[in-house]
Amino acid sequence: MKSLDPRITRWQVDESNRESLEKEHLDQLVTYEVFLQMKEGKAYEHVGIVHASDLDMAFLFAKEQYSRRYTCTGMWVVATEMVTVTEFTDLEENVYDSISTMAAEGNELQSYEVFHLTKRGKQHKHVGQVKAASPEHAQSEAKKHFDDGRPVLNVWVAPSNEFLFSKEEDKVIWSTLHEKTHRDVISYKAADKIKAFKERSQHG
Amino acid sequence: MDSHLNELALKELLYRIADDLLILGHRNSEWTGIGPLLEEDIAFSSMAQDKIGQSLALYELLHQLGEREPDVVAFMRNADQFHNCQFVELPIGGYEFSLIRHFLYDHSLFLRFQALSNSSYEPLAALSRKLVGELRYHVLHASTFIKQLGTATEESISRLQSSLNEAIPYSLGIFEPSPYEKELIDDGIFSGEQELFHQWWSVVNEILGKTALEISQVDQELAKTGGRLGQHTEHLQPLLDEMSEVIKLDPSAEW
Amino acid sequence: MYGGGNTFEATKFDNLAEEDPIKLDEFEARIARGEKIEPMDWMPALYRKQLIRMIEQHAHSEIIGALPEGTWITRAPGFKRKLALMAKVQDEVGHAQLLYSAAETLGKSREQMMQDLINGKSKYSNIFNYPAFTWADSAIISWLVDAGAIVNQLANSKGSYGPYCRALERICAEESFHLKYGHHAVIHLATGSKIQKDMVQDALNRWWPPMMHFFGPPDRVSVHTEVLTKWKVKMASNDEMRQQFLDMYVPKIWELGLKVPDPNLRKNEETRQWEYTEPDWEEFKRVINGDGPCNKERLAVRRTAEERGRWVRQAILVPKAKYVTPLA
Repeated sequence: MKSLDPRITRWQVDESNRESLEKEHLDQLVTYEVFLQMKEGKAYEHVGIVHASDLDMAFLFAKEQYSRRYTCTGMWVVATEMVTVTEFTDLEENVYDSISTMAAEGNELQSYEVFHLTKRGKQHKHVGQVKAASPEHAQSEAKKHFDDGRPVLNVWVAPSNEFLFSKEEDKVIWSTLHEKTHRDVISYKAADKIKAFKERSQHG
Repeated sequence: MDSHLNELALKELLYRIADDLLILGHRNSEWTGIGPLLEEDIAFSSMAQDKIGQSLALYELLHQLGEREPDVVAFMRNADQFHNCQFVELPIGGYEFSLIRHFLYDHSLFLRFQALSNSSYEPLAALSRKLVGELRYHVLHASTFIKQLGTATEESISRLQSSLNEAIPYSLGIFEPSPYEKELIDDGIFSGEQELFHQWWSVVNEILGKTALEISQVDQELAKTGGRLGQHTEHLQPLLDEMSEVIKLDPSAEW
Repeated sequence: MYGGGNTFEATKFDNLAEEDPIKLDEFEARIARGEKIEPMDWMPALYRKQLIRMIEQHAHSEIIGALPEGTWITRAPGFKRKLALMAKVQDEVGHAQLLYSAAETLGKSREQMMQDLINGKSKYSNIFNYPAFTWADSAIISWLVDAGAIVNQLANSKGSYGPYCRALERICAEESFHLKYGHHAVIHLATGSKIQKDMVQDALNRWWPPMMHFFGPPDRVSVHTEVLTKWKVKMASNDEMRQQFLDMYVPKIWELGLKVPDPNLRKNEETRQWEYTEPDWEEFKRVINGDGPCNKERLAVRRTAEERGRWVRQAILVPKAKYVTPLA
């Protein structure tokens, strides 16, 4: 196929190929939830998902999909499947009110990361870690440690050892972000050019 | 010390890196919008943009040394005035070839910028120290992909292996010595292509050792050289013609 | 980049007869209070269906929208334009990723959506079925098509579905770069040399009719979507958006000495409405139904990308990994 796009012409696309393509179940990758820290000291915040094969690849993909602009000092990824979610409550209702406290049973304790949603439409934010024997126990422990009475609409917990956390030495991968000004509106000011053009037109 | 010669040596070094990055960034940008997976499309495009940005920074260093503006240097020269290795000008091929080239080239670049971080030419050293961080991601990306795809399916392994076989002679051309090799080393501007090659060879083989891929044989005689001296394959001039098609409609205009 | 228009099927309240009336009341009350709906909330089947349809079409428009401008990615004049266009086209792919993710939270997998796109089962914005003949076309697209998309997307970002709104907020922020970049490039052409001026005027002439189609058919002939308006799925009428676009951008086109190719275009100072020659809605229908200048190429390219990328996806696929619906 000859295209106006020389890349496509070189790619030799067969335009007549009309066989229906069955994709589903063939290559549906699983998803990973991505959390970003915009500045040192700020809470990690959920930003979205990526499709990937494993944590390493999820991290690679998340870095360019979610931190190619602005600032970034750290990134976490975890498989969607590993996150346990409470119900969503309505305005002003605290989801912790419906979580009952429970004691650790049997299993050894492990660390869980805890995330809160405090307003519908916003993103979940990291609030801290708890030690727990199960996801349900982690919710109960989260209630003990992080429920200050203010409404929390939804809580996520996920085992810490299932995350890939960026390391201190990874931070350099974001060190030139502020120089990528070609992605930024500030690089495209042209008011002067319009003004000069108008003046030329009036005098011409 | 002959300062005139030094400057020639330095410029030749800057041109070879800048031209490599411009041409490879341009080639890799051909994948934007048609990559194998949305997330990879985005990641590969970012790295292509990084390369174009890095080449611009190097052309700016050259401009400070008296060469013409980056847009003129990049868009107005002919193929025989380019110092890039032939490896980077080859067409993108299938994704397997682009990935293998990304893996082989970016590891060399990462090591090159690490070496240049100690360059006696301070502006280049400063730039290199900065770009090492960017490159850290590029090599992480490349190595992760090669490790995963190089151990995955029969198809992925055989595709990558045949691209690797094709790429190796060209990749040796990355290290084609400069006519000023001795001066660069003596003056502490750069530790030299030979040393870089040996570091690269060990890194690349170490990673490939974790995969089903292998470099069957290396014959330095087969290295595709000449690019550094302006001798190119039939692919470079059409690439340059395409790249400059619009700007040459009116070279005096502001675009 | 997406303009709405022809997105919705006619809907009737009867579809709701089977819904639990108490839950439906709660759902509607939540929307009326201005709160967002989140993926795990109860929602009427019709709401889910129409949202999937809308978000999916939007996502397809982004990934297909990467192609017309991609036409010039290897020929952008100079470093500044080269970097900007690469980043711009990349953003469109990024937007597709964000939007498919939002649609996935409603229960349709990304691969299923891709498959429906390639097999012609679902639509994307009509405007991307037109060719980008010159560099100036790509500049006009970046400026005006993105401007139109922002009008539509800003309205939709005030809608009721949380994940879609979050995606749109980010998309709008990024598209303000596209708009500025596109305007910057057009300004340079329109105030430049004769070659440049002619080039950009020609491109404007080509893109004006599809741009008038961009927001969809006039309200008086559009399907009834009252319930979708009530549920804050459809946020602005086609005509409102078209008027808003004309209000914001016609003066900016004129100030550059460019001529809009419509002799009847003027603002009626009494009604405060723009008057224009009615676009050819027959052509709009024809193109939507597959008979535009680039429909075949766009789908063939997307299909080829899917086919040629398959070995990569298969190689990284972990067969025992379980796909679950993403959370937000």
